Amino acid sequence: MKQKQFEAEHAALWEKLAAILKGDQPDAVEALPTLYRRLCQCLALAIQRGYSPALTDYLQNMVSDCHKRLYGTAAARPMTLRRWMLEEFPQRVRQEWRLVLLAMLAFWGVGLGVGWLVWQQPHWAYSFISPGQLREFQSMYQPSAAAIGRGGAEGDVVMFGFYIWNNVSIGFRTFAGGIFGGIPALLSIVFNGLHGGVVASWLSKDPITRETFWSFVVTHSSFEITGLMLSGVAGMRLGLALISPGRLTRRHALFAASRRMFPVLVGAALMTALAAFFEAFWSASSAITPATKFAVGGVCWTLVIGFFLFAGRRER
Amino acid sequence: MPDLLTGRLSLTTPEGVRLLLTPAGPAPRAWAWAVDFLIWLAVVWVMIMVLSGTKLGEGVLMVLLFVSYWGYPIICEVYFGGRTLGKRVVGIEVLRTNGLPVGWRESTLRNLLLVADFLPLMYCSGLLCMLCDSRFRRIGDIVAGTQVVYREKRRARPAPPDAPPAVPPFPLTPEQQRTLADLFERERRLPPGRLEELGSLAEPLTGLSGMASLERLRGYVAGMTQ
Repeated sequence: MKQKQFEAEHAALWEKLAAILKGDQPDAVEALPTLYRRLCQCLALAIQRGYSPALTDYLQNMVSDCHKRLYGTAAARPMTLRRWMLEEFPQRVRQEWRLVLLAMLAFWGVGLGVGWLVWQQPHWAYSFISPGQLREFQSMYQPSAAAIGRGGAEGDVVMFGFYIWNNVSIGFRTFAGGIFGGIPALLSIVFNGLHGGVVASWLSKDPITRETFWSFVVTHSSFEITGLMLSGVAGMRLGLALISPGRLTRRHALFAASRRMFPVLVGAALMTALAAFFEAFWSASSAITPATKFAVGGVCWTLVIGFFLFAGRRER
Repeated sequence: MPDLLTGRLSLTTPEGVRLLLTPAGPAPRAWAWAVDFLIWLAVVWVMIMVLSGTKLGEGVLMVLLFVSYWGYPIICEVYFGGRTLGKRVVGIEVLRTNGLPVGWRESTLRNLLLVADFLPLMYCSGLLCMLCDSRFRRIGDIVAGTQVVYREKRRARPAPPDAPPAVPPFPLTPEQQRTLADLFERERRLPPGRLEELGSLAEPLTGLSGMASLERLRGYVAGMTQ
């Protein structure tokens, strides 16, 4: 068959498909699979008969558009995020309990160790943080400060924006760094533990700042520290997949690990964002008494620990 | 593995046709990145102009900064056919390894891992990874199972040559027919000197040389298509 004849015979089909792809005919979409199979046949014939490249390219592009439309349409799953967060997130964290333990050891172990050192011999604090910064921290946590934990009386919204921009980005970087064998992610956790340990110990030595500091950090730290550690865990899992891929190739191992860790990554980012909210609007408020903050902080810590111990255990 | 001559990947679909994908290398992707970065800088500059001054404005600015920095490529790739504005300008798009559009998971992972590709300096790891991979995938692409390919240009089909049909002296294979048809579809983009040269090259087929040979070829193509 001559090319011109072939084009005339099938022009109607191609025009109809082009209209469906453009979205002009919403009611004709159901015919797409049938029409697509006929289009595939057109392409095969055009190639086999040696029709001009302009025609085969045209059909090839249309086939590729149809393929994307037909197979690329995701099934509507309105509950995905909820299922990810309430079931898969805690499940995956429990499955990675060894890495979680390592992250906890890296954060709390280093933090407590350095904190104890500074408590015993305060001059060690200067080895980790400059004296100027330590003085700044001390002035931030004076009970007389209008808003605790900040250089001065700044708007809560500014701090909220800053915490989101800074802390969630740190979580993302910790995750991404983890791919290099997990070491950068672990170092990020260790560094944060070290910094926190020195500052906490330094401010606890001074009875004036002790209560303001601990009442400030107790609530949001439950979400923030957990979020950071879990970003690190997700990153370390990627790094380990690269080091010991098991029975998969390294590429497949990375791909599989990233798919598994995605709910953890999203959950960690959401927790850090929640922490930013608490840190900006709750922790710094001087209108709330320290006793209330400690009570709410205790509840938050219990909720976080309980969530990872018990959520998503029931079989569906 | 891509085809060694055309650099194209070929994926066979359940319908028995092939999807042809051309992986995009570091250069076009760097251009796309540069365009995106300039757009981001311009948007940030406008946001600073509009929002700075008040405390509330600064807070909103930081949140918008966060969303535009991390979210812009993800939202573009998920909702606008795997293309950020920069990729649109350059003519490339992000697809999954199986040729399908990316979803939230793939797009988020590949864009977060841009941080890893950046290390230690100006996308060194990413470039190294792209040069080692047969499909120019950076670390983020390998982790997320995605690839960046050229988007084929949608051209209007030119009309077949208008000439008295002629029959070639011996039957041509489909591949040879396609080559001849392609010559006259590209005719307008070729200089006359080159056309004459091509006509002379076809002497074994036409028995003529120069423009006369080209006209004879035009007749063959008209005979094949009409």
